[in-house]
Amino acid sequence: MTKYAMVVDLNRCQGCRGCTTACKVENNTVEGNFWMHVFRFEQGSFPDTEMSFLPRPCQHCDNAPCVKVCPVGARFKREDGLVLTDADRCIGCRYCELACPYGVNYFNWQDPEKAQYSVVDWKDSDLQPVTDGVVPPYKNPDLDELWGEEQRRTAGGGHAKGIMEKCTFCVQRVEKDLDPACVETCPTDALVFGDIDDPGTPISLYLRENRTWQLLEEAGTRPSVYYVGGTPPSSELKEIERPKATV
Amino acid sequence: MSEVFLGMPTITRRTLVKGSAAIVGTSVVASNFLFKSLDGVAIAQETTASGPVEDFVATTCWIGKQDCGMIARRIDGRVVKFDGNPTNPRNVGTLCPKGQGQIQAMYDPNRVKWPLVRTNEKGVSGEWRRATWDEALDLVAEKVNEVRARDPKMVLWQKGRSKAKDFYDDAFVKSTGISKLGHGAFCSDAGYRALEYTIGTHAVLHPDFRYCNYMLSWGWNITNAGGNKFCWLTWPRHMVKARDRGMKIAHLDPRLRSAGPFADTWLPIRPGTDLAMALALCHELIRQDYLDRPYLTKYTNAPFLIKADGTVARVTVGEGDEAEDVGLVWDEASGAAVPFGETDDPVLEGEFVLDGEKVKTAFQLFIEHVADATPEWAADITGLTAEQISSVASEFGRQAQIGSTLVVDGVEVPYRPVGIMAYHMAQQELGFQTARAMTMVPMLVGAIGAAGGQLSDFTWKIYKNYAKYEKLTVEDPPYDFLLNNSKFFPINTGSPAVVAGVMNDPERYGVEDLPEVAILHMVNPLNSFPSQPEYLRSYLKFKFVAVISPWLSETADYFADVVLPAATIEKYEGPISATDQYIDAVTLRIPPMEPLFESRGEIDIYMDLCERMGTLYGEEGYLAVVNKELKLDDTPFVLPLDSKPEVRHIFDQWAKSQGIDEGIEYFEDPQKGVYVKGPVSPNKIYGYVADPPFGGAMHRLYGESLLDAQQQMKAKGAEKIYWQDYTAFPTWRAPTMDASPAEYEFYLLSYHQIEHKQSRTSFIPILAELAPGAHLDINPEAAARLGISEGDSVRVESHNAVTGETRRLTTTATMLDSIRPDTVAMPHHFGMWTHPQNEAQGPSANEIYFTGEGYLANTGDQSFHVKVKVTKGGDA
Repeated sequence: MTKYAMVVDLNRCQGCRGCTTACKVENNTVEGNFWMHVFRFEQGSFPDTEMSFLPRPCQHCDNAPCVKVCPVGARFKREDGLVLTDADRCIGCRYCELACPYGVNYFNWQDPEKAQYSVVDWKDSDLQPVTDGVVPPYKNPDLDELWGEEQRRTAGGGHAKGIMEKCTFCVQRVEKDLDPACVETCPTDALVFGDIDDPGTPISLYLRENRTWQLLEEAGTRPSVYYVGGTPPSSELKEIERPKATV
Repeated sequence: MSEVFLGMPTITRRTLVKGSAAIVGTSVVASNFLFKSLDGVAIAQETTASGPVEDFVATTCWIGKQDCGMIARRIDGRVVKFDGNPTNPRNVGTLCPKGQGQIQAMYDPNRVKWPLVRTNEKGVSGEWRRATWDEALDLVAEKVNEVRARDPKMVLWQKGRSKAKDFYDDAFVKSTGISKLGHGAFCSDAGYRALEYTIGTHAVLHPDFRYCNYMLSWGWNITNAGGNKFCWLTWPRHMVKARDRGMKIAHLDPRLRSAGPFADTWLPIRPGTDLAMALALCHELIRQDYLDRPYLTKYTNAPFLIKADGTVARVTVGEGDEAEDVGLVWDEASGAAVPFGETDDPVLEGEFVLDGEKVKTAFQLFIEHVADATPEWAADITGLTAEQISSVASEFGRQAQIGSTLVVDGVEVPYRPVGIMAYHMAQQELGFQTARAMTMVPMLVGAIGAAGGQLSDFTWKIYKNYAKYEKLTVEDPPYDFLLNNSKFFPINTGSPAVVAGVMNDPERYGVEDLPEVAILHMVNPLNSFPSQPEYLRSYLKFKFVAVISPWLSETADYFADVVLPAATIEKYEGPISATDQYIDAVTLRIPPMEPLFESRGEIDIYMDLCERMGTLYGEEGYLAVVNKELKLDDTPFVLPLDSKPEVRHIFDQWAKSQGIDEGIEYFEDPQKGVYVKGPVSPNKIYGYVADPPFGGAMHRLYGESLLDAQQQMKAKGAEKIYWQDYTAFPTWRAPTMDASPAEYEFYLLSYHQIEHKQSRTSFIPILAELAPGAHLDINPEAAARLGISEGDSVRVESHNAVTGETRRLTTTATMLDSIRPDTVAMPHHFGMWTHPQNEAQGPSANEIYFTGEGYLANTGDQSFHVKVKVTKGGDA
């Protein structure tokens, strides 16, 4: 049985947000939605200060509170560990958003095309011959496909007004045996993804060789994301360099 | 899924343990280097009867400095994603946020879509009419040739970044005979000049990450910016691997943000005091006897005997054409001075009598020079404690393991696993001598060119300036507009700020002829370089300005007569080095799509321009220089000099000349894309084992010609502000800015954020979302004293300690504990106005920096330091 998980090695993370950007391009997420967000923190007072980074994707919990509260079965957990949203079922009630302790769910308030960095006119007539009018111009056709044994529209197909979306571990890439976009791009290999049921995978090796911790372990959510290095965030941390949108 | 990628193996990182010996593509590379490349095999073309066609093209990133390898994924020919090319040693399948985000830049409909001709006056926002390429190119050729006919040097080609030097800096500039101006005076050129002078390399400082155990990260913006030679991505990759081995980092920077969590020790040094710090480190290394005497006596001028007037005692050796003046050293055995090289063991320290005159070794003078540079002395200047300074020196000396060797790939190399990474911090008023002083720290322990030690360039081929600087020439006016060989900047970077100063006041600088036409290549001085008021005046003096750029830069907006739209990544460009320093590789930029709108690649633009100017064909023409620079001469692949080739054909010929039978197709192939030549030999990496060692350069601890230049400058009547830093050893003085009144209590720094590249990305929405705009980082303790809280609008006023001029900007305060309380800082990416995304991004620190005397190094390089006062209020 395959069981996917991710390691975030904070001894390597540079806080560059390459993962954030790769995710946004791959998944065509709209402005303000950060399926993979990287927090930048500092703590202490001069000169005794420390800085830290914390990439935060969906934790793809084994005991996912978002799945439990979904009234329509749109949010579900696959056998391989991925927690996904069926865009055709979601009614936008936002219960998942309330239930999740990690803040990884995003509600689509606007028509996605309008929220797609509309300071730039992607419908510009001189661009049409190249893009055929798609918005964004790098629109990924895989996102509209049906994925998995269940054949459900789960790959960020939720880019519609009034429904929920979040990190999918890039289901459309995982099904092609590729790493999620964030993992693929990480300049310092701080992100590792793979099958933890197979002891021979790099991620299994990583988990055997390193001490790990998880976000809000006390919440009993049993995340599929494991952190190496650093320390769990505390109230001592002050967030710096926040993106324009609230996340 | 294997069925998606027809006929392709589908090994991926997830199904293969790191380090397995799977070899894909080139076989010369170690397996763990291929760790990332295992993904690369899952690249092929998928074709279905009805669905969209997916394919992949290898190309090279355009947005940053170091040109990472990329694979473009296309759907029906439309690029939907860039990923890192796994076979490129430089980025090994990874990309930074800019690399990912540039896809928005490529499609940006706010690019310059077609050639533009100005219809209103200059010095204000431009109004434009659409022109044809023919009309625009004819106009540029006519205006350039008009001036060229009188004096080609009065045509100025100014670049920000040149991504195909052979075709731009070399072929275009050389074949037309025009003047060239770069951006280095705002980058790290003070450091380049210092290293060229001191050890002969054309670079700044970086450690040998493969073996280094203790690194001084000296102003290195580790998590946010580039470093020596590379852009950001490659150095952090090397650094995290080094830390896996246990390398420790001492970080010297007024801000900790630069290092993020990667500083084992943070030394929050006061801005502009690095030279004092370096001298104190030298003092401590000497006091604690951490000295590599064999290196110092064999490869540096430390044992040379120096006369009372500061000149080296020399003797003529050889006869006739072979006669040369050689420095004398003291031979203990014979008790006499002998020419350098005639004794294996010259005396390093001491005072002697030579021909009745007292002489001292250069090293003796250096010991005396740093005798008072105690940690206590430097503590007062740098704002660090004496203990901090002393402990860094002790650690550096101890970890250097002087006398040890390491066998690298079968070659025994001196092993000194300590080094410095320093880059843009050279851009301060004392920058040249600061970088020299910093270089002396690893010199003392023999770490230059050692395994694990201090590296600089990726080669020990000595740069031409090394020989030139043996004797500096200071001439009488009139000077050229770059002030070459002048009494102002005898060592001269070629600074746009200096040129602007000269254009605004040629009499003051003894200049008679000023440039009349400018061609601006991927450069935006008005926004990117200090300081705006100088450029606002000087660019108006050009009779004609042509801009070649994908976007309407602010400089183009105010001053261009013609704008020629360049493509972004959609063009052929190269050849591009793909080395990570340890593996040698080369690649090209391949257009993943046709150039958008009516834009064109710069090589096409220059060839067409040269054709119209009459400089494309013939023995001296553009194509002839291309043949020479690409080394196509005397090969079957030489370009004919009488017909204009397709750019793709040029690179096809070049690829074949490299022994790549597939030609250009090799580089277009997503499974290849990068020509990996193999591991770099230790004899190329390490100066000690280079042939000849260190490229034959004698390392100049003692700067005889600097002192000589000072005397020449004085004799020609130069003011003290120009000659004061031309000293044989780096000599501390308080920077000019310290003379500003006490109310200007803060040092202002500007810095680079990882989401942006200078001013080239702040309008890319996906990046601007992450790093949205200008702000002023201020320590909460200092802010509280001024009644300033997070998010407050603040007024920042700078003061010029030489002229008394003040400048102001308004921005938003951001509380940051990890910055010295006497220092404030701003990101430097903003202050633009031509793109809709620029709205409300706020100002650039460059608006309140000063250039000119007191804010330039003695090499004409720009200082990014100024004293400011900060007050609450103002319209943000």
